[in-house]
Amino acid sequence: MIKYEKFSLGNGLRVVIHEDKSTPLVAMNILYDAGSKDEDPSYTGLAHLVEHLMYCGSANIPDYDQPLQLAGGENNAFTNNDISNYYLTLPSENIETGFWLESDRMLEPLFTQEKVEIQKNVVIEEFKQRYLNQPYGDVMLLLRPLAYTTHPYRWPTIGSEVSHIEKVVPEIIKRFFDSHYTPGNAILTLTGNIDYQKGYDLSEKWFGPVPGRYSQKRCLPVEPEQTGPRELIVERNVPASSLYKAWHIGSRLGSDYHSMDLLTDILAGGESGRLYNKLVREKNIFSEINAFITSDIDPGLMIINGKLLKGSDIQAAEKSVNELIDELKVKRVPEKELEKVKNKFESSTVLSNTNILNKAMNLSLYELLGDPDLINKEVENYAAVGSNEVMESALRYLDEKNCTTLYYLSAEKK
Amino acid sequence: MTIPPDRKFQPSVFPFNARINVPVEERILNNGASLFLMESGTEDIMRMEFVFRAGMIQEHLPLLATSVNMMLTEGTEKYSSEELNTILDYYGIFINQVAEKDNAGLTVYFLNRHLEKVLGIVREILFHPVFPEKELRTLINKRLSWFRINKEKVHHLASEQFFESLFGSHHPYGRQVLERDFGEINSALLRDFHTRFYIPEKMAVIISGRIHEDTVNMFQKYFGELRSQGNYIEDFVGQINGDSTRKKHINKKGALQTALRIGSTAINKRHPDYPGLKILNVVLGGYFGSRLMKNLREDKGYTYGIQSTVSSLDLCGFKVISTEVGKAYTDLAADEIYREVLRLQSEPVPDEEMKVVRQYMSGEMVRMFDGPFAIAESFKAAWEFGLDFSYFKDLMEKVMTITPDEITELARKYYKIEDLYEITAGER
Repeated sequence: MIKYEKFSLGNGLRVVIHEDKSTPLVAMNILYDAGSKDEDPSYTGLAHLVEHLMYCGSANIPDYDQPLQLAGGENNAFTNNDISNYYLTLPSENIETGFWLESDRMLEPLFTQEKVEIQKNVVIEEFKQRYLNQPYGDVMLLLRPLAYTTHPYRWPTIGSEVSHIEKVVPEIIKRFFDSHYTPGNAILTLTGNIDYQKGYDLSEKWFGPVPGRYSQKRCLPVEPEQTGPRELIVERNVPASSLYKAWHIGSRLGSDYHSMDLLTDILAGGESGRLYNKLVREKNIFSEINAFITSDIDPGLMIINGKLLKGSDIQAAEKSVNELIDELKVKRVPEKELEKVKNKFESSTVLSNTNILNKAMNLSLYELLGDPDLINKEVENYAAVGSNEVMESALRYLDEKNCTTLYYLSAEKK
Repeated sequence: MTIPPDRKFQPSVFPFNARINVPVEERILNNGASLFLMESGTEDIMRMEFVFRAGMIQEHLPLLATSVNMMLTEGTEKYSSEELNTILDYYGIFINQVAEKDNAGLTVYFLNRHLEKVLGIVREILFHPVFPEKELRTLINKRLSWFRINKEKVHHLASEQFFESLFGSHHPYGRQVLERDFGEINSALLRDFHTRFYIPEKMAVIISGRIHEDTVNMFQKYFGELRSQGNYIEDFVGQINGDSTRKKHINKKGALQTALRIGSTAINKRHPDYPGLKILNVVLGGYFGSRLMKNLREDKGYTYGIQSTVSSLDLCGFKVISTEVGKAYTDLAADEIYREVLRLQSEPVPDEEMKVVRQYMSGEMVRMFDGPFAIAESFKAAWEFGLDFSYFKDLMEKVMTITPDEITELARKYYKIEDLYEITAGER
């Protein structure tokens, strides 16, 4: 049982606090309800660039990192389609430094011309290093705009092209920040060696005075139903061909989210999944195969991806994947197999809860979804899924009409 | 009426301490195997790390140590690979197999109520693997596939060449895998390696978490009477012959970035200078505010990341500065790296920077002793070299007392530019 308290400040900031005295540290997580889905389609990659610039100085604090290091702290951040998430850990003696740092950059980050230019370069190097210069690095740059025609999930968080990042100027950064990085759009979570009262007092002291701002209302275009299969064939300088299949699924808060997640574990969880057993171990078609859901807040995707062994034909490989998908639509998953994937989920949840940073991130995310108590309830939610539900979900989503396939072929001579 | 907080100044920074005083209970089983128990954490989980001196240092052929380790879960006397993995998943057991340059083994994470089940399965995996041919073929194909993919990555090409240059192409620490090596691996070779090096009497187990009260008894029951089948061979002590060529470039057509590895062999954890060298390393490139990060990323934007590390192996250590930079910046980046090294050799580190580094490293030490996973990893890092937690106490002492002049001395002693190798991979 993870106990917590929650409250809101006058400016709309939501605060969640969980005491864990077994650690000498405190984790502070700030989640902004702003992600790449909130970008203008001609300025993709902006949310991620803003994340970089949040570290480049605020009105009272020209350097974020050094004061944190002086206090014995560590930090990092990530941005995805839905959120921008910042986190740090500090020895409990010095948690006030965290409040000072985070509240100042929620109040007024500087976004100077000089820093914008430097971080544009850094992000462009990241674009190259992780997406353009790596084998299979550009997969999401190809798959997303194919699976999605309308919804902003059609571009990846890094951006759809380098030129979008290149043309950014400080005004564009500021506009995004002003519209989306408001106290009302933010959730502050504290976990670890901190008293509830102290957490409350420090939140009021540092974040209370940050003026509430108007948060731009989110009005995203809805992705129309996919009515026919889509496919793309590309050739790349990679040693092994790779197959990607994506189906549209429901939203994070949809009633079939848990059954879809368990379904992907049945297919490819650990090394006892059906796809692995049949297609890697038994038939030697793939060298590796994965199945996962994107867990996006708006309707996301289920993706199956496998790397072919030399000599495997990609059409035949796809057919073998489809056979295993079809099996889920006609035969209920046996009780023991379903229990297996539920046990794995429970175990991973308990292991995750040994870490205050994981707890802070999860509490923030669950608060965003409307109920922080999901941190205690999700295991039961998964446990409640029956094999009928799994079959229904497979029938509902895993149809060819709803499928996008990317054939990522090796350009090397056979 | 609330007074607005003073945002101009950092709130007071108070001293804090890492909890290095974790009690470790050592128990020896009947057959001589060692258990190290560290009670920690609030969740009913356990982490157990089984360690053998079965790393690459013991290989007479490439791929042996890693293949044996990977094949442990691919079939045992009692269970097929499919059955084994199903059982592990059914009990929510997470298993991590690892074979490194010196040691090899596996780590399991699980809910402590399943302890007996875990011990039974782990005994099967560690001491009764059968290395089935079909699964071995599957593994070799998979590894060959990864091998070919890695050969496309500049960071991989640079790292591999770096180790070869440092340790020599014949030494297990430096020997590179070639495509033809995959054809040499067979079950008989694996069986032989396994028998010689996965020795029950020499097993060490590092156990942390909320430790089940019957743990020691159960270990006696499942492992206490196991005896090895083969004769124990003395450890390989090979000659380390670094390449005489200091600069090497691996060409990779079409690469947008160049990977750089600059470094050389070094002292290891047993050496009294090691703590000081670790501190120097942090200043140079061991944290976000380091000389290298500030220069090459934050100031010049050449790279998304640059770091320096000092690592310890049994036979010796090594130090390396690693980064991937935009192709056009390669020579500029190398210049800046050498400039930073020279700066550390000539100008003492200013007091303000010393303070940041001391505080940063103190914070890191807190994290290294926070929770059952970190504590176990820290213990192993010291134990591997015949040391205990006092190594960390000495390191903390050094962090608090080292002077700028000592750092300058260490930079001159251990970072002589003419001794450094410079390996690049990318398109010239």
